[in-house]
Amino acid sequence: MRDDSHKWDVPQNFSAPLAGPGVTISRIIPDRQTLISAPDILARTPGAAGWPDRAAGDSYTLCLRRDRVLEVNGPARTDGWDGQQAVSDITDGLTIFEITGPRAMELIRRGAEISDALPSRSAVRQAFGLEVILCRRQDALRLHVARTEAQALRKQLADHITLM
Amino acid sequence: MSGTRISKGGLIDRSTLLRFRFDGRDFTGHPGDTLASALLASGVRVMGRSFKYHRPRGVWGAWFDDPNAVFNVTLKGDELPNCPATTTPLVDGMEARAVNAWPNAESDIKGGLDLFHRWLGAGFYYKTFMWPDWHLFEPSIRKMAGLGAVDGKVIEGYVADQLHDHCDLLVAGGGAAGLAAARAAAEAGQAVVLVDDHATLGGGLYQGDEPVEGEEPRQWVATQEAAIRAAGGRILSSTTVYGIYDHGLAALAEDRGFARAPRLWRMRARRILMATGAMDRPITFADNDRPGVMSLQGAAEFLGRYGVLVGRKIAVLSNNSQSTPIVAHLRAAGAEVIEADPDEGTLRALDGKRLSGVQIGGRKIDCDTILASGGLTPTVHLWRHAGGKLDWSAEKAAFVPGAAPQGMVAAGAANGTFDLDPALAEARAAALGNAPETVATGYRIKPLWPQPGAKGRQWIDFQHDVTLKDVELAARENYVSVEHLKRYTTLGMAADQGKTSNMAGLAAMAAIQGRPIPEVGTTTFRPPFVPVPMELYHGTRRGQLVNPLKRLELEAQHRQAGGAMCEYGGWLRPGWYGPDQETAIRAEVLAARQAAGVFDGSPLGKIEVMGPDAAAFVNFIYYNTISTLRPGHIRYGFMLRENGLILDDGVVARLGPDRFLISCSSSHVASVELMLESWRQDGNDPDRIFVHDTTPHWATLTLTGPKAQQIVAALDTGVDLDDFPHMTLREGQFDGAPLRIARVSFTGDASYELSLRAGKAGALWQAIMAAGAPHDLRPVGVEALSVLRAEKGFIMVGKDTDGETMPHDLGFGVPRQKKKAAFVGDRALHSDTANAPDRRQLVGLTLPEGALPLATGAHIVTTGPKPRSIGFVTSSYFSPTLNRPIALALLEHGSERMGERVTLRHMGQTATATVSAPCALDPEGERLNA
Amino acid sequence: MQLFPCPFCGLRNEREFHYMAEPGKFRPDTSSQISAEDWAAYLYDTRNEKGRVREIWMHQTCRELFVMERDSVTMNVLGSTSLRASAGEAAE
Repeated sequence: MRDDSHKWDVPQNFSAPLAGPGVTISRIIPDRQTLISAPDILARTPGAAGWPDRAAGDSYTLCLRRDRVLEVNGPARTDGWDGQQAVSDITDGLTIFEITGPRAMELIRRGAEISDALPSRSAVRQAFGLEVILCRRQDALRLHVARTEAQALRKQLADHITLM
Repeated sequence: MSGTRISKGGLIDRSTLLRFRFDGRDFTGHPGDTLASALLASGVRVMGRSFKYHRPRGVWGAWFDDPNAVFNVTLKGDELPNCPATTTPLVDGMEARAVNAWPNAESDIKGGLDLFHRWLGAGFYYKTFMWPDWHLFEPSIRKMAGLGAVDGKVIEGYVADQLHDHCDLLVAGGGAAGLAAARAAAEAGQAVVLVDDHATLGGGLYQGDEPVEGEEPRQWVATQEAAIRAAGGRILSSTTVYGIYDHGLAALAEDRGFARAPRLWRMRARRILMATGAMDRPITFADNDRPGVMSLQGAAEFLGRYGVLVGRKIAVLSNNSQSTPIVAHLRAAGAEVIEADPDEGTLRALDGKRLSGVQIGGRKIDCDTILASGGLTPTVHLWRHAGGKLDWSAEKAAFVPGAAPQGMVAAGAANGTFDLDPALAEARAAALGNAPETVATGYRIKPLWPQPGAKGRQWIDFQHDVTLKDVELAARENYVSVEHLKRYTTLGMAADQGKTSNMAGLAAMAAIQGRPIPEVGTTTFRPPFVPVPMELYHGTRRGQLVNPLKRLELEAQHRQAGGAMCEYGGWLRPGWYGPDQETAIRAEVLAARQAAGVFDGSPLGKIEVMGPDAAAFVNFIYYNTISTLRPGHIRYGFMLRENGLILDDGVVARLGPDRFLISCSSSHVASVELMLESWRQDGNDPDRIFVHDTTPHWATLTLTGPKAQQIVAALDTGVDLDDFPHMTLREGQFDGAPLRIARVSFTGDASYELSLRAGKAGALWQAIMAAGAPHDLRPVGVEALSVLRAEKGFIMVGKDTDGETMPHDLGFGVPRQKKKAAFVGDRALHSDTANAPDRRQLVGLTLPEGALPLATGAHIVTTGPKPRSIGFVTSSYFSPTLNRPIALALLEHGSERMGERVTLRHMGQTATATVSAPCALDPEGERLNA
Repeated sequence: MQLFPCPFCGLRNEREFHYMAEPGKFRPDTSSQISAEDWAAYLYDTRNEKGRVREIWMHQTCRELFVMERDSVTMNVLGSTSLRASAGEAAE
């Protein structure tokens, strides 16, 4: 097998924010992220945000699928099936980047065909070639991406900022 | 020296001088010039050489319709090959060189090739260099052919910005029709984007310099632009709509300056209005390729936009009415213009060293420039990209837009409406979705097409040197379909993609065969409309971002430990630790067998299946019976496709009565999850089964070897290791986080797979290293693990299986015979193919003492005069544990051949081996509990 | 680049979708005898029609499985229905 160590940047912990013209990208470290699936989860979670809904507060819930939500900074829950819903802790599984600044949306449009004119019940989409969960929170945009792909997303965002 | 700059007029800034060089000589121009206009203004005529015969060429058109002037351009050390001189804006300091010419375009040493033209017709190279082998000649011919040379240097930062956008109405083309349409739509409240490829809008309005709706053209254009912007419309200039794709998606390339990659706009438009104008057609006559023979429209553009008069004594050969205002404009600028009917007699360009006149039948006209206009052809490329139809208009002697593609409309000259006022009315109506009134056209044309059999060399495709005789040859050899004609003669395949040649080519074919033009038809129009760099398409997806690998939480720790990071199934993982691969793998294998090894198993899938129907569902998904698995226990099994072939293997653990954890192989997590989800929703009750892929939340470190238990015992996990049999799972804690310990083994030695949330993996790694130090623990990479598992005969799906392997080929035949419940792929395991006696089965190969390891992929062959492959080596290593080579293979009748000596062949080498059981080490499995 | 209507999400770029199968084919009950012909038909027979077609697609980002009706010549999308909401209808 070929040693490709030199071909790949060593992943950083992304603690230093990335700034470009009209955008700043910072990493948000959540206390908890939980996947909850149930047939009636959306009925029970009326505030679960899709696109272009705005998630509010420190603790918020995003709609992922017809029967699944992502709870961010919610209460501690036990993993498994409790007779009503399936729960999995995914706190370390999704890295969160927050994009602030007047050109935040312009940056996102580099990686996805997205606009407020195309609303979507689910917050999951493909952006920059990766599967991400994208939501608005207050005046910012938040991207949740699989931890294993966070380096790829961050590098893409950094590249795009230089071209904007 | 014929072209001159007139003292006023045009869109250039005469107050600023730009210096540049062409073919080693110094020139000047002004902001607003292109390379071609600045050269013409300086009197330069010859700007290139043709592709095949190296004939001297001047510009034909003034914009994207010029096939002749192609330059290598250098600016501040950045060099770009194949820049069209007519569309490259002049920048101070540019150094341009004509491609395909040496030492320069004026006196090219290969110009002599033209003398042999009689023998160099269409298909010459293929016909001539057939014997003994085309490949013998190909390198030198290829070297001779081609246009600009790439200097091989990568331009720093040459990366295309790409973005998505949307609008109600996209107007392609900022001429009169486009401006009128964009304004009407914007003022009606539509979100409008107007796109034009020139830096200055106005399209063809500057050609005749006639007033538009009472205003001077520049003023009228400025008024429209201001109105569009005031109504909220957007204008993108220096931007080309180069392709229309499905569902209203338009691809736009925005020029960002020389040596900067263009920007790609993926513009989704509810409606697209094509206002792309029309192009002048060449007239086909003898020596019509001579420098000084130009398009009438092109000359008008040079005059109107750049203030360049292309000649002093001009013969205008036009068969249509568009020439009237242009001739007036040329005369007003000071040219002497002689108009002649090109149909009056046989035409021939006359020249010695310079163009000296034109022969029309018996008449000779002295002139320094011939401006030809064979009629206007609407620029319908985008219409055809979108699937729109074309109609033949006999009245206009042109293909015009017919049945419209969904969401698209054409207006102005692009729609065959060549007169200004009707074009404006049509554009405004189209912008608002209304049907325009039909106004009789004032455009008059007397059709004039190539005449087969005519004397002299009559050019059809200027850049690729395709003449009327080549089209006649193609017809004689039965390449009569336009698509065949194109490929046989390369007509229309040059950099301009037939913008000037296609109409003449298909009209010539129509005339040769005596068929009407619409019956012959056009070739297919495909994006891109103009050449665009490859960078436009890939954007930032280059280098590490072409196919980014998934990354481990502990990558920094692996690198620190000397890990060589390699690509395995979409992940970047440590292959081995240390500078020398071979030494490292051997040391890692021996440590894992004699003491302990730790490897990062984080990429292994962690897919949870939960819910009341989870047990029945997992039992259906797996080949093996899973329903009988008790909580806390683990089973190894296969997942199949419905055709019975192996999709994946791995272990499944039951975490609770209605909760399973599927540990699929590292590279198959996505495909397994997709398969589970599709079966869940199709054929099962999705309200009773839930599938969570939690892989990225977890990190897994596996300890294996005789000392593994002692090391795990030294960690503070709260798990009792004494009563912890193989193939069971326990839950404990580490550093306050839940920890799962699974006793599964891919090495054959006692193993402990420790999984916990990724954020705690660094602490666990550190603790393991500290606890393992007294026991000679070593980190083990993927390569050593591959050897360890091969010693045990454990397979890797996709390596030791192929597109024909079923589980019973690997010695796992019991569920096929005994499992009662339905499972994916069950029926396929009893097909004639599955039951065939000669299936390839997994075996081990034992080599004679001192032999070298076999090549992976080596074929096992029958002996005798006609050897046949009966199998192949799937895995082969030197086993440090056994101190001899080991191998796994798939072999016909494998299980019946134990002990048989077989012959192997690879790249001309022969080897022998003895067929054995796949497992070469500890077949009784005693090490598992050692 | 097409836009497909996910019954749950709405219009999304085609890159997010994955073609699964033609509808109307049911898995034979493998607890009884299935002829080789029937199994082969289930595995391999496709209509692959020109023009108006019904197809099962997955919207990969929300994992919705649905039936999409579209025109395979003009690429026009005529509608989509969740496989769940219309299990009977999707089966034809």
